Amino acid sequence: MDITTTTILIAIVAGVGAGVLAGLFGVGGGVIFVPTLVLVFSFHQLDAQATSLAAIVPVAAVGAWRQSNDDNVYWRGAMLMGIGAAVGVVIGAEIATRIPDGTLSQVFGAVLLLSGGEMIVSASRRLKAKRASEPE
Amino acid sequence: MENANTLPKVSVYPLIGIGIVSGLFAAMFGIGGGVVIVPLLILLTRMPPRIAAATSLATLLLTSMIGTARYAGSGHIDWVAAIVIGVPAVVGVVIGISFQKRLPADWLIIAFGVLIIAIGLKLVFKL
Repeated sequence: MDITTTTILIAIVAGVGAGVLAGLFGVGGGVIFVPTLVLVFSFHQLDAQATSLAAIVPVAAVGAWRQSNDDNVYWRGAMLMGIGAAVGVVIGAEIATRIPDGTLSQVFGAVLLLSGGEMIVSASRRLKAKRASEPE
Repeated sequence: MENANTLPKVSVYPLIGIGIVSGLFAAMFGIGGGVVIVPLLILLTRMPPRIAAATSLATLLLTSMIGTARYAGSGHIDWVAAIVIGVPAVVGVVIGISFQKRLPADWLIIAFGVLIIAIGLKLVFKL
Protein backbone atom coordinates (compact mmCIF):
# COMPACT_ATOMS: atom_id res chain seq x y z
CA MET A 1 0.00 0.00 0.00
CA ASP A 2 1.28 3.48 -0.85
CA ILE A 3 1.16 5.61 2.27
CA THR A 4 -0.07 9.13 1.54
CA THR A 5 -2.11 11.52 3.66
CA THR A 6 -5.19 10.69 1.58
CA THR A 7 -4.90 6.91 1.90
CA ILE A 8 -4.32 7.21 5.64
CA LEU A 9 -7.37 9.47 6.05
CA ILE A 10 -9.57 7.09 4.05
CA ALA A 11 -8.23 4.09 6.00
CA ILE A 12 -8.96 5.86 9.31
CA VAL A 13 -12.53 6.77 8.31
CA ALA A 14 -13.27 3.28 6.93
CA GLY A 15 -11.55 1.65 9.91
CA VAL A 16 -13.46 3.60 12.57
CA GLY A 17 -16.72 3.01 10.64
CA ALA A 18 -16.07 -0.72 10.41
CA GLY A 19 -15.20 -0.81 14.13
CA VAL A 20 -18.40 0.97 15.14
CA LEU A 21 -20.42 -1.60 13.12
CA ALA A 22 -18.39 -4.36 14.75
CA GLY A 23 -19.17 -3.05 18.24
CA LEU A 24 -22.84 -2.43 17.50
CA PHE A 25 -23.64 -5.64 15.67
CA GLY A 26 -20.89 -8.13 16.51
CA VAL A 27 -19.58 -8.40 12.97
CA GLY A 28 -15.84 -8.28 12.36
CA GLY A 29 -15.72 -5.37 9.96
CA GLY A 30 -14.74 -7.44 6.91
CA VAL A 31 -17.93 -6.30 5.18
CA ILE A 32 -16.33 -2.81 5.14
CA PHE A 33 -12.62 -3.77 4.99
CA VAL A 34 -12.80 -5.93 1.84
CA PRO A 35 -14.66 -3.44 -0.41
CA THR A 36 -12.48 -0.55 0.89
CA LEU A 37 -9.26 -2.42 0.11
CA VAL A 38 -10.49 -3.48 -3.35
CA LEU A 39 -12.23 -0.28 -4.45
CA VAL A 40 -10.04 2.40 -2.81
CA PHE A 41 -6.63 0.74 -2.57
CA SER A 42 -6.89 -1.42 -5.73
CA PHE A 43 -6.14 -4.67 -3.88
CA HIS A 44 -6.74 -8.01 -5.61
CA GLN A 45 -9.76 -9.81 -4.11
CA LEU A 46 -7.69 -12.55 -2.40
CA ASP A 47 -5.15 -10.06 -0.96
CA ALA A 48 -8.04 -7.92 0.34
CA GLN A 49 -9.66 -10.95 1.99
CA ALA A 50 -6.42 -12.08 3.65
CA THR A 51 -5.55 -8.54 4.83
CA SER A 52 -9.12 -8.07 6.09
CA LEU A 53 -8.82 -11.22 8.23
CA ALA A 54 -5.58 -9.91 9.77
CA ALA A 55 -7.24 -6.54 10.51
CA ILE A 56 -10.18 -8.32 12.19
CA VAL A 57 -7.93 -10.01 14.81
CA PRO A 58 -7.31 -6.90 17.00
CA VAL A 59 -10.92 -5.69 16.51
CA ALA A 60 -12.37 -9.02 17.65
CA ALA A 61 -9.86 -9.27 20.51
CA VAL A 62 -10.64 -5.83 21.98
CA GLY A 63 -14.37 -6.20 21.28
CA ALA A 64 -14.60 -9.63 22.94
CA TRP A 65 -12.55 -8.42 25.91
CA ARG A 66 -14.80 -5.37 26.50
CA GLN A 67 -17.96 -7.43 26.13
CA SER A 68 -16.55 -10.15 28.37
CA ASN A 69 -16.07 -7.61 31.17
CA ASP A 70 -19.84 -7.00 31.01
CA ASP A 71 -20.53 -10.79 31.03
CA ASN A 72 -22.07 -10.58 27.56
CA VAL A 73 -19.94 -13.31 25.96
CA TYR A 74 -21.32 -16.87 25.94
CA TRP A 75 -17.86 -18.48 25.80
CA ARG A 76 -19.07 -22.07 25.48
CA GLY A 77 -20.95 -21.09 22.33
CA ALA A 78 -18.02 -19.09 20.97
CA MET A 79 -15.66 -22.06 21.41
CA LEU A 80 -18.05 -24.54 19.76
CA MET A 81 -18.70 -22.18 16.85
CA GLY A 82 -14.95 -21.60 16.53
CA ILE A 83 -14.43 -25.36 16.13
CA GLY A 84 -17.20 -25.52 13.53
CA ALA A 85 -15.76 -22.51 11.74
CA ALA A 86 -12.33 -24.14 11.41
CA VAL A 87 -14.04 -27.05 9.58
CA GLY A 88 -16.15 -24.65 7.52
CA VAL A 89 -13.11 -22.64 6.39
CA VAL A 90 -11.52 -25.75 4.87
CA ILE A 91 -14.73 -26.82 3.07
CA GLY A 92 -15.49 -23.24 2.01
CA ALA A 93 -12.11 -22.79 0.37
CA GLU A 94 -12.75 -25.98 -1.66
CA ILE A 95 -16.23 -24.84 -2.77
CA ALA A 96 -15.09 -21.29 -3.55
CA THR A 97 -12.57 -22.53 -6.09
CA ARG A 98 -15.22 -24.60 -7.90
CA ILE A 99 -18.11 -22.12 -8.15
CA PRO A 100 -17.98 -18.97 -10.31
CA ASP A 101 -17.39 -15.82 -8.23
CA GLY A 102 -20.57 -14.05 -9.36
CA THR A 103 -22.91 -16.95 -8.51
CA LEU A 104 -21.28 -17.32 -5.10
CA SER A 105 -21.86 -13.72 -4.05
CA GLN A 106 -25.45 -13.78 -5.33
CA VAL A 107 -26.20 -16.84 -3.17
CA PHE A 108 -24.66 -15.05 -0.19
CA GLY A 109 -26.72 -11.93 -0.96
CA ALA A 110 -29.93 -14.00 -1.07
CA VAL A 111 -29.14 -15.52 2.36
CA LEU A 112 -28.64 -12.00 3.76
CA LEU A 113 -31.95 -10.77 2.28
CA LEU A 114 -33.87 -13.67 3.86
CA SER A 115 -32.32 -13.42 7.32
CA GLY A 116 -32.50 -9.59 7.33
CA GLY A 117 -36.19 -9.73 6.42
CA GLU A 118 -36.92 -12.28 9.11
CA MET A 119 -35.11 -10.21 11.75
CA ILE A 120 -37.04 -7.04 10.92
CA VAL A 121 -40.41 -8.82 10.87
CA SER A 122 -39.87 -10.67 14.17
CA ALA A 123 -38.43 -7.61 15.98
CA SER A 124 -41.30 -5.40 14.77
CA ARG A 125 -43.79 -8.00 15.95
CA ARG A 126 -42.19 -8.00 19.43
CA LEU A 127 -42.19 -4.21 19.57
CA LYS A 128 -45.87 -4.14 18.60
CA ALA A 129 -46.74 -6.76 21.22
CA LYS A 130 -44.86 -4.78 23.86
CA ARG A 131 -46.69 -1.60 22.93
CA ALA A 132 -50.08 -3.36 23.02
CA SER A 133 -49.40 -4.77 26.50
CA GLU A 134 -48.49 -1.37 27.95
CA PRO A 135 -51.34 0.45 29.78
CA GLU A 136 -52.75 3.50 27.98
CA MET B 1 -30.23 -7.10 32.60
CA GLU B 2 -29.73 -10.53 31.00
CA ASN B 3 -26.14 -11.66 30.68
CA ALA B 4 -24.33 -14.71 29.36
CA ASN B 5 -24.17 -16.36 32.81
CA THR B 6 -27.95 -16.47 33.20
CA LEU B 7 -28.48 -17.82 29.68
CA PRO B 8 -30.12 -21.26 29.44
CA LYS B 9 -27.63 -23.81 28.05
CA VAL B 10 -27.67 -23.85 24.25
CA SER B 11 -27.35 -27.33 22.68
CA VAL B 12 -24.13 -28.28 20.89
CA TYR B 13 -25.43 -29.05 17.37
CA PRO B 14 -26.81 -25.65 16.33
CA LEU B 15 -23.63 -24.00 17.64
CA ILE B 16 -21.31 -26.26 15.64
CA GLY B 17 -23.62 -25.94 12.63
CA ILE B 18 -23.57 -22.13 12.81
CA GLY B 19 -19.78 -22.30 13.17
CA ILE B 20 -19.44 -24.40 10.01
CA VAL B 21 -21.71 -22.09 8.01
CA SER B 22 -19.80 -19.01 9.21
CA GLY B 23 -16.48 -20.66 8.34
CA LEU B 24 -17.82 -21.45 4.85
CA PHE B 25 -18.79 -17.83 4.29
CA ALA B 26 -15.55 -16.55 5.81
CA ALA B 27 -13.46 -18.64 3.42
CA MET B 28 -15.58 -17.79 0.39
CA PHE B 29 -15.98 -14.06 0.91
CA GLY B 30 -13.17 -12.97 3.24
CA ILE B 31 -15.53 -11.63 5.86
CA GLY B 32 -15.23 -12.65 9.48
CA GLY B 33 -18.52 -14.49 9.46
CA GLY B 34 -20.33 -12.26 11.98
CA VAL B 35 -22.91 -11.28 9.37
CA VAL B 36 -23.95 -14.96 9.39
CA ILE B 37 -23.33 -15.78 13.07
CA VAL B 38 -25.47 -13.03 14.66
CA PRO B 39 -28.75 -13.62 12.75
CA LEU B 40 -28.41 -17.41 13.00
CA LEU B 41 -27.79 -17.27 16.77
CA ILE B 42 -30.86 -15.09 17.23
CA LEU B 43 -33.03 -17.24 14.93
CA LEU B 44 -31.90 -20.75 15.88
CA THR B 45 -30.94 -20.46 19.55
CA ARG B 46 -33.16 -17.49 20.57
CA MET B 47 -30.08 -15.85 22.09
CA PRO B 48 -30.70 -12.20 23.11
CA PRO B 49 -29.19 -9.89 20.42
CA ARG B 50 -26.71 -8.21 22.77
CA ILE B 51 -25.25 -11.57 23.85
CA ALA B 52 -25.31 -12.85 20.25
CA ALA B 53 -23.26 -9.82 19.13
CA ALA B 54 -20.73 -10.21 21.97
CA THR B 55 -20.42 -13.98 21.46
CA SER B 56 -19.97 -13.44 17.72
CA LEU B 57 -16.95 -11.18 18.39
CA ALA B 58 -15.37 -13.91 20.55
CA THR B 59 -15.92 -16.46 17.75
CA LEU B 60 -14.45 -14.05 15.20
CA LEU B 61 -11.31 -13.79 17.28
CA LEU B 62 -10.79 -17.55 16.71
CA THR B 63 -11.87 -17.50 13.04
CA SER B 64 -9.73 -14.50 12.11
CA MET B 65 -6.67 -15.94 13.87
CA ILE B 66 -7.07 -19.28 12.04
CA GLY B 67 -7.60 -17.47 8.73
CA THR B 68 -4.63 -15.15 9.29
CA ALA B 69 -2.39 -18.09 10.21
CA ARG B 70 -3.46 -19.85 7.02
CA TYR B 71 -2.65 -16.85 4.81
CA ALA B 72 0.49 -15.68 6.69
CA GLY B 73 3.56 -16.49 4.66
CA SER B 74 1.53 -16.75 1.44
CA GLY B 75 2.30 -13.12 0.62
CA HIS B 76 -1.40 -12.25 0.42
CA ILE B 77 -1.49 -10.21 3.64
CA ASP B 78 -0.41 -6.56 3.43
CA TRP B 79 0.54 -6.10 7.10
CA VAL B 80 0.94 -2.31 6.84
CA ALA B 81 -2.56 -1.99 5.39
CA ALA B 82 -3.93 -4.34 8.06
CA ILE B 83 -2.49 -2.08 10.78
CA VAL B 84 -3.51 1.19 9.12
CA ILE B 85 -7.13 0.01 8.78
CA GLY B 86 -7.27 -2.26 11.87
CA VAL B 87 -6.06 0.19 14.52
CA PRO B 88 -8.77 2.82 13.79
CA ALA B 89 -11.26 -0.06 13.82
CA VAL B 90 -10.18 -0.95 17.36
CA VAL B 91 -11.13 2.62 18.39
CA GLY B 92 -14.41 2.17 16.49
CA VAL B 93 -15.33 -1.09 18.21
CA VAL B 94 -15.04 0.54 21.65
CA ILE B 95 -17.30 3.39 20.46
CA GLY B 96 -19.78 0.92 18.92
CA ILE B 97 -20.05 -1.15 22.10
CA SER B 98 -20.76 1.92 24.23
CA PHE B 99 -23.54 2.97 21.78
CA GLN B 100 -24.93 -0.55 21.88
CA LYS B 101 -25.47 -0.38 25.64
CA ARG B 102 -27.85 2.55 25.21
CA LEU B 103 -29.98 1.09 22.42
CA PRO B 104 -33.04 -1.12 23.06
CA ALA B 105 -32.47 -4.67 21.73
CA ASP B 106 -35.33 -4.84 19.22
CA TRP B 107 -34.34 -1.59 17.55
CA LEU B 108 -30.81 -2.95 17.35
CA ILE B 109 -32.07 -6.01 15.44
CA ILE B 110 -34.10 -3.84 13.06
CA ALA B 111 -31.05 -1.65 12.35
CA PHE B 112 -28.93 -4.74 11.75
CA GLY B 113 -31.63 -6.23 9.49
CA VAL B 114 -31.64 -3.04 7.38
CA LEU B 115 -27.84 -3.15 7.13
CA ILE B 116 -27.66 -6.75 5.93
CA ILE B 117 -30.58 -6.28 3.51
CA ALA B 118 -28.64 -3.37 1.96
CA ILE B 119 -25.54 -5.56 1.61
CA GLY B 120 -27.70 -8.43 0.28
CA LEU B 121 -29.31 -6.21 -2.39
CA LYS B 122 -25.87 -4.99 -3.43
CA LEU B 123 -24.61 -8.55 -3.86
CA VAL B 124 -27.69 -10.05 -5.54
CA PHE B 125 -28.14 -7.27 -8.09
CA LYS B 126 -24.41 -6.53 -8.40
CA LEU B 127 -24.95 -2.80 -7.65
